[in-house]
Amino acid sequence: MSILRQVMCRTAPSSMQICVRYASNQDVAPLDLNTALARPEEVEQRNKLSGKITVPVDVNLSPISGVPEEHVRDRRVRIHIPPKNAMQSGTDNLSKWQIEFDNRERWENPLMGWASTGDPLSNMNVQFGSKDEAITYCERNGWRWFVDGDDKPKKERVKNYGVNFSWNKRTRVSTK
Amino acid sequence: MAGREAVKRAVQQVRPILSVDREEARKRALNLYKAWYRQIPYIVMDYDIPMTVEQCRDKLREEFVKNRHVSDIRVIDMLVIKGQMELKESVEIWKQKGHIMRYWKESQEPKPTDFLSKFIQGVN
Amino acid sequence: MIRAPLVKALGALSSPTHQIQIGSRAVRTTAVIAQQAPAKAPEKIEVFVDDIPVQVLPGTTVLQAAAQIGVEIPRFCYHERLAVAGNCRMCLVEVEKSPKPVAACAMPVMKGWRIKTNSDLTRKAREGVMEFLLMNHPLDCPICDQGGECDLQDQAMAFGSDRSRFTDINYTGKRAVEDKDIGPLVKTIMTRCIHCTRCVRFASEIAGVDDLGTTGRGNDMQIGTYVEKLFLTELSGNVIDLCPVGALTNKPYSFVARPWEIRKVSSIDVLDAVGSNIVVSTRTNEVLRILPRENEDVNEEWLADKSRFACDGLKRQRLVAPMVRMPNGELQAVEWEGALIAVAKALKKANGQVAGVSGQLADVESLVALKDLVNRLEGETLVTEQGFIKGAGSDVRANYLLNSTIAGLEEADAVLLVGTNPRYEAPLVNTRLRKAYVHNELQIASIGPKIDLSYQHENLGADASLIKDVCSGTHAFSKVLEGAKKPAIIIGADLLERPDGAAIHATILDYCQKLKKKDWNPFNVLQNNAAQVGALDVGYQAGVEAVIKAQPKVLFLLNADAGKLTREQLPKDCFIVYIGSHGDNGASIADAVLPGAAYTEKQAIYVNTEGRPQQTLTAVSPPGMAREDWKILRAISEVVSTPLPYDTLDELRSRLEDLGPHLTRLGELEPASLSEAGSQATISKSINGGPIDVKQKELRDYFMTDAVSRASPTMAKCISAVNKQQRQNEQAKQSVAI
Repeated sequence: MSILRQVMCRTAPSSMQICVRYASNQDVAPLDLNTALARPEEVEQRNKLSGKITVPVDVNLSPISGVPEEHVRDRRVRIHIPPKNAMQSGTDNLSKWQIEFDNRERWENPLMGWASTGDPLSNMNVQFGSKDEAITYCERNGWRWFVDGDDKPKKERVKNYGVNFSWNKRTRVSTK
Repeated sequence: MAGREAVKRAVQQVRPILSVDREEARKRALNLYKAWYRQIPYIVMDYDIPMTVEQCRDKLREEFVKNRHVSDIRVIDMLVIKGQMELKESVEIWKQKGHIMRYWKESQEPKPTDFLSKFIQGVN
Repeated sequence: MIRAPLVKALGALSSPTHQIQIGSRAVRTTAVIAQQAPAKAPEKIEVFVDDIPVQVLPGTTVLQAAAQIGVEIPRFCYHERLAVAGNCRMCLVEVEKSPKPVAACAMPVMKGWRIKTNSDLTRKAREGVMEFLLMNHPLDCPICDQGGECDLQDQAMAFGSDRSRFTDINYTGKRAVEDKDIGPLVKTIMTRCIHCTRCVRFASEIAGVDDLGTTGRGNDMQIGTYVEKLFLTELSGNVIDLCPVGALTNKPYSFVARPWEIRKVSSIDVLDAVGSNIVVSTRTNEVLRILPRENEDVNEEWLADKSRFACDGLKRQRLVAPMVRMPNGELQAVEWEGALIAVAKALKKANGQVAGVSGQLADVESLVALKDLVNRLEGETLVTEQGFIKGAGSDVRANYLLNSTIAGLEEADAVLLVGTNPRYEAPLVNTRLRKAYVHNELQIASIGPKIDLSYQHENLGADASLIKDVCSGTHAFSKVLEGAKKPAIIIGADLLERPDGAAIHATILDYCQKLKKKDWNPFNVLQNNAAQVGALDVGYQAGVEAVIKAQPKVLFLLNADAGKLTREQLPKDCFIVYIGSHGDNGASIADAVLPGAAYTEKQAIYVNTEGRPQQTLTAVSPPGMAREDWKILRAISEVVSTPLPYDTLDELRSRLEDLGPHLTRLGELEPASLSEAGSQATISKSINGGPIDVKQKELRDYFMTDAVSRASPTMAKCISAVNKQQRQNEQAKQSVAI
């Protein structure tokens, strides 16, 4: 297995990460053989690794995300805020941005009547705090995206109980 | 969207994974390639696959070239780590014959790429 | 109801008048204040909701103030878009220094109020209300269609008590109410009703039909129509959404699915030209129901019945395989290869004599693809089925749009309807007009047949010469229009099909130059199908006359199902290619039938009557071998070896952008300026046609207008219900006469 090790060893620090610790005298700081015996270039490398490197912000993670290529190339992501259900008055889940993939075929399983699909991404439900976060996420994963709808501020409307009874306006309630 | 255009050119400071610069990442990729290259005869023998060493080496090259557009150091590192894992699994015979043969995708029917055949088959 | 007659009665009795004078003066002063108020922005007042300071306008209710900081007060009767009723008492909250809890939905805030939405008193009040409601509510959630999306369920979980004092020790049973039959669309289970009166308020305020009401008091109170009759309005489906419990449910959807097993896809409705935003609920590749989606600029939160209930037409009469007419005259199903080759052969023989007709449901993508295909084959004739004025009228965008915008009509104060019945041609434009009528004192007049518009309006008559009278300023209503701050004239699209349509159009356009205000365009054409504006935008000509004149060898019918073109009008050897989703008029005359996708099955752009492009999304996949329409055209182009330069939707969209940049700015409105020139040439032509008529006069004319709704069994049931109701009414009248 020396070959395997070679790959890691060439530039990375030695794999002998052994900390020697003397059980008898615990007050002495443990001696790190790695640091003590390291060559100067190894120390430099280690310092570099503990620091930061500069990379572009825009990064495509699709080669390492494990998503099949056809689902990166051919999918279109819709970024939106879920609409309010007209049947209900609650509005609690309507503040987050969501991503949604283009819809692929679904069918009813002939045996059990269950809903089936061949689309691995159809159940992926990811929520974001803002539109930009969602866009960044899609770009990192290499998906084409579009934003649907915007978060326009709601129009303020004046509600007045009194207008039900106004005698000279058409707002007067006719049927009760 | 002007802000987003700016983001495209912007750079950021991040913790490195394995390599601190592009040169180092390149070396790692080359090392991985060499390691695979040397192991291929043993893999062919151990797994008894119906492929020649040359075919395997072509496939190896193909797999590496597929990712040649990758420029981000951390992504290269991750790819190297993944390739390393694959190599380890192959060499240690943790894989089976079918896993090795999967690189050639022989059992997969190729999907149509031109418009008309996609249209007639009804695939997206 | 009592106050006004009382004042009148007192006045008539000549009782001490000073009281009345004080009263009326008080009213007048408040009215004056109300008029002056918008001039300067009213000062905001500060209140505290759960100790969080909120700045609100004076007159804001407690509930609205709480909503501003995201505190949602439970409610049943309150609805943003309806009048405040204040009868469910669920929104009771504690206000510091107030002796009793206050109803948050009706109570305007006062300066410095400290509102406690989660105090012990508030919670106790809610628990009490909840207990009373549940005492009279059946425990049938497992068989209730509202189960899973029920406000009562949710709020009982969130705010109700964990136990009830309701023990039916004498087995007298709970309160039970007889179900009413109010039509084929809305199913009633009146025992579940909690008397929030949202349906009553919707019917009388928004729909303008005073059919629903309450009878009885206390425990005997019932919601209903009093005498048994159908709730006949084109907006009846909305009471299903409004009902916070399962008392009013969707009849065609009853016992079909639960909300947690359906997938929701946001889309656009295309069965009228409004472009209502909808949510399509699907399960296993099947459209189950359609709900409205909120869009303040288009449909608010409502949906017309055809758009909501015609979705079962998407499963019937569908074309599922390409068909080619055999020598024996019968259509036979073939594979796609066979169909494409048959079309290609015909196109090769046609030698450039190719034409295209687009119908009501054609999307912009396929319109562009058809246009590009026909042009590549050296054809020129591309028309829409729906007519418009002849000549260059469709070159200027403002000539065929609803320029005042749908939301803008809400602010109008004088409207003239010419040859249109917005109630059935575009029900959600009509609700805007009604809203302006109720809240903005809108004055409406119509030229055309006498119709019921759900609000009072002045019918000026049906004579076409009235248009000239009004537009020359001699008619009485001209004074109203000229005096109005935001006048609007709405012309029906069908009217402009007439031979003198161009003259009518030019006359009104000229008059609108005079009425024009800053930021206000009074000229409106109300289209009646979803494809028309998009087709005119990408350069189609209006009216099938051009095709009859051209006598093409190959004719493409793109969703053209109105039956305006017959086989006899075309040359004998004309090869007709129909592309569309339903086997309707178009498919019956075609030589090759290519199955397309319906609007729930494709991602496609439609432009609504005000010129707002919006896109549908794929909710389900097309049935059988059906394909998206633009792809069919793209495939044909490849077989005749002139491939169109786009393979994907994105590439096609960028082609769209080249044709008209506004087409891909989805959801946004591109203001079109009123054309100045060009009208003088046609104005000399006189308006001399017969009386003005509209196609959809009554409710029964509304339900079936396109291929989807014609295939829908629910729509057929609606028509028979309307007919039955009318027969009953006539019988009742006769028996009275006898």
